[in-house]
Amino acid sequence: MTTRRELVGGLSRICGDANVLWRPEDLLVYEFDGTIERSAPYAVVFPANTEEVAEVVRLCNALGVAITPRGAGTGLSGGSVPARRGVVIATARMRRILEIDPANRIAVVEPGLPNIQLSEAAAVHGLFYAPDPSSQKACTIGGNVAENAGGPHCLALGVTTNHVLGLEVVTAAGDITWLGGHVADTPGYDLRGAFIGSEGTLGIATKVVVRLLPLPASIVTLLAIFDTIEQASHTVSSIIAAGMIPAAMEMMDRTTLQAAEAGLQCGYPPDAGAVLLVELDGIADVVEPQATSARAACMENGAKEVRVARDAATRELLWKGRKGAIGSLGRIAPNYYILDGVVPRSKLVEVMARVGEVSERYGLPIANVFHAGDGNLHPCIAFDEREPGATKRVLEAGAEIMRACVDAGGSLSGEHGIGFEKQQFMPWLYSETDLDNMGRLRGVFGNSGGFNPCKLLPGGTGCGEMAHNDAAIRAAGPDAFV
Amino acid sequence: MASKHSNWPNPAEAPALDDLAKCVHCGLCVNSCPTYAVTGLEVESPRGRIYLARAVEEGRIELTAAVQGHWDLCLQCRACEAVCPSGVPYGRIMEHARAQLDTAASTGRGGRRLRKFLLRRVLARPRILAAAVTPVRWLANSPLRGIGRRTRLLRLGPALARGEAQLPRHIGKPLRAGDSLPAVLGASETAVLFTGCVMGEVFGDVHRATARVLARQGVAAIASAGQGCCGALHAHAGDLAFARELARRNIDALAGTAPAPIVVNSAGCGAAMKEYGDILSGDTAYAARAREFAARVRDFTEYAAALAEQPAASFPARVTYQDPCHLAHAQRIREQPRNLLRTIDGCDLVETPGADLCCGAAGLYSLVQPAMSAELRSRKASQFRDAAPDVIVTANPGCQLQYEAAVREAGITARVMHIAELLDEAQSAAADSS
Repeated sequence: MTTRRELVGGLSRICGDANVLWRPEDLLVYEFDGTIERSAPYAVVFPANTEEVAEVVRLCNALGVAITPRGAGTGLSGGSVPARRGVVIATARMRRILEIDPANRIAVVEPGLPNIQLSEAAAVHGLFYAPDPSSQKACTIGGNVAENAGGPHCLALGVTTNHVLGLEVVTAAGDITWLGGHVADTPGYDLRGAFIGSEGTLGIATKVVVRLLPLPASIVTLLAIFDTIEQASHTVSSIIAAGMIPAAMEMMDRTTLQAAEAGLQCGYPPDAGAVLLVELDGIADVVEPQATSARAACMENGAKEVRVARDAATRELLWKGRKGAIGSLGRIAPNYYILDGVVPRSKLVEVMARVGEVSERYGLPIANVFHAGDGNLHPCIAFDEREPGATKRVLEAGAEIMRACVDAGGSLSGEHGIGFEKQQFMPWLYSETDLDNMGRLRGVFGNSGGFNPCKLLPGGTGCGEMAHNDAAIRAAGPDAFV
Repeated sequence: MASKHSNWPNPAEAPALDDLAKCVHCGLCVNSCPTYAVTGLEVESPRGRIYLARAVEEGRIELTAAVQGHWDLCLQCRACEAVCPSGVPYGRIMEHARAQLDTAASTGRGGRRLRKFLLRRVLARPRILAAAVTPVRWLANSPLRGIGRRTRLLRLGPALARGEAQLPRHIGKPLRAGDSLPAVLGASETAVLFTGCVMGEVFGDVHRATARVLARQGVAAIASAGQGCCGALHAHAGDLAFARELARRNIDALAGTAPAPIVVNSAGCGAAMKEYGDILSGDTAYAARAREFAARVRDFTEYAAALAEQPAASFPARVTYQDPCHLAHAQRIREQPRNLLRTIDGCDLVETPGADLCCGAAGLYSLVQPAMSAELRSRKASQFRDAAPDVIVTANPGCQLQYEAAVREAGITARVMHIAELLDEAQSAAADSS
């Protein structure tokens, strides 16, 4: 058993007093991420480099204290919420770009680097980093690796795992190791692939080698305006059937586009039933004819209007609404619960009908944003947590929607991860043997249960009561046991 | 979860729960925040500060010294507000949060008392302010200053050196409310020039340049008597009662000039005055008048860019424009000043990274949070070294002083100008050569 004083003392010896937070008021703001789960840690530590991360991990392991890694805290599945309290290891001080190698089109970065800053730095060389989560102005590369993050532009280009060549990792055991490397193929087991998307349960990435792509020569963005979600969904299928793979294909329903327009004034028509954003890129000779046929597909499926953006400013405006859409739902209600389901594209309309039915039955407004090209839905349930029982009902409604996705032959997460909230649904997709095998991988990296506990896989001890624990925070004086 | 009562020491001025509840902690704001960019700490981010306010509101935590420290470090630049998709009125939340600190038993009370004294007894009283600025003007313009710097006498006291570093290069003649401005023959419109407090005493030259530019555009500017300090700094410091009082005085003073536009060349004042309707919304006698007043307020760049008459201008130089926070973020005016500069012959407008990131001046911030203020100034200094502009132009007096200090720090020779001064010079150069 160890006391908080001892824990904080040990962390301070490794990282310095200034880089350890322990006051209850300071810990409070590390109890949340972008979703609705809450649990505050005993301490937050900000290591400066790989060695300090490893030392902190070994110290926590020796003291038997749980560890939760954290980037910018913008996650949408509770992945960085310290479910069993313990210590949060934040990567905020490790945010340098170590190297950009334009000739080989790679960069080596630290995990705390905000995603957008990588693309900004690469742009100088005519390059960019493809995965672009909507939170890219804030979210970190390390967090993207943990969640195998996607983004609107992952339709043609793939998600994080397709753009990370290698990783330096501090494992859950506190060892420093490399997974993958600086080139496209490395022999042996693809542990890099296993680590990406492991939601911070295997270790902490301390260096990330990413692939950079040349900026497209020509980009055309279409905004198609429809009366119904069905028309927009059919358009998505028509465009794919015509042999095109747009860079992005994004759909928003009426509730979402009204909120986004109110919040961000991006020129969306508030009376439309749905809008579809289609972005085509590449060399102009290919893009222009594609834009013409995509436009035709929209009109054939009943689009009221198709707007075309060819310059950066107009394009940015169209995207601004999409990227800020989730946050703008704060205009509808003080809280939202965002889901992340995947369905086969052909089942989109059917599943949407079930979402609408759940919304009506629970009396909860649900806004819908989709990466439509991938069949990745983001229904957002709007609510006010101050209403008694609201959170519980929202979670029930969310579970029903996830069930509908799985029933339609889909999956529980496109890009946000399983985290805390969806781990109990994993048996819908996987057999006991499947889950056991995945669980054994944790042991390989030295995680015996205390490294980002209660995430990704069902089970684990003491995971049931993750909730507001203010009383516990206040009661835990410096000499209380952790 | 609101199981307890709020822990606000001054409930009458507490941040509204509806404002706080708008934040869904999505985190899209954090990297727009200068103090988060410097510290990487969630508690020094807008989302963290709002979360702490919500926790005080819900009785989860006391308003401790640590919480106050996090709020005090906020620059109130409102960069977060401009990027917030949920429309959280962060500026308003922070003003009400600051309003709690005077009443809270806390650290830093001495500093807060001094600030309150300066704000209420000096800035808001034109004659006292004039008396206080007179020796400063003499000092700033005196040859002794150069001697002091060269002989390193100033190093005797860090406070002295810091004070000297924040003085403008030169302080011109004041231009006060009620002073007359040159008449404009055949003017198509009359506009009230908002004279302000420090602006009128220290930046009289900017006011006169503003009036000359407007005159060339066919607008007669008048410096109407009776107007005074806008109250922005009072509101930012949480002295909302006094900010309302100053708002009422200006509304009364300028009532007779309606419906003439009120042109403001200090971004901080303009932002505050556009929000008079908001801060006086609970005042039955003034609410409607405050809204009417606010609708007349125009930033100088916003007003000048919209006028039909755009005189020829020439200014061959490499110029960088730095957004004042309360122009870009609070008033959302970014394009107009750049457009005004783009139309000038020979003016090579170069953008620096983070042009809209706070310079650290932030009203009285540089005095109360010197370390963070200096860090932000140094970041600007290094960008200026890289961009090597001939002229750094902005649209707010506090930023101007900070950029003069940044230029000295960078060891470069760039001129720092208010955009009105640059336009005035450029137009007069074009007129001379034609």
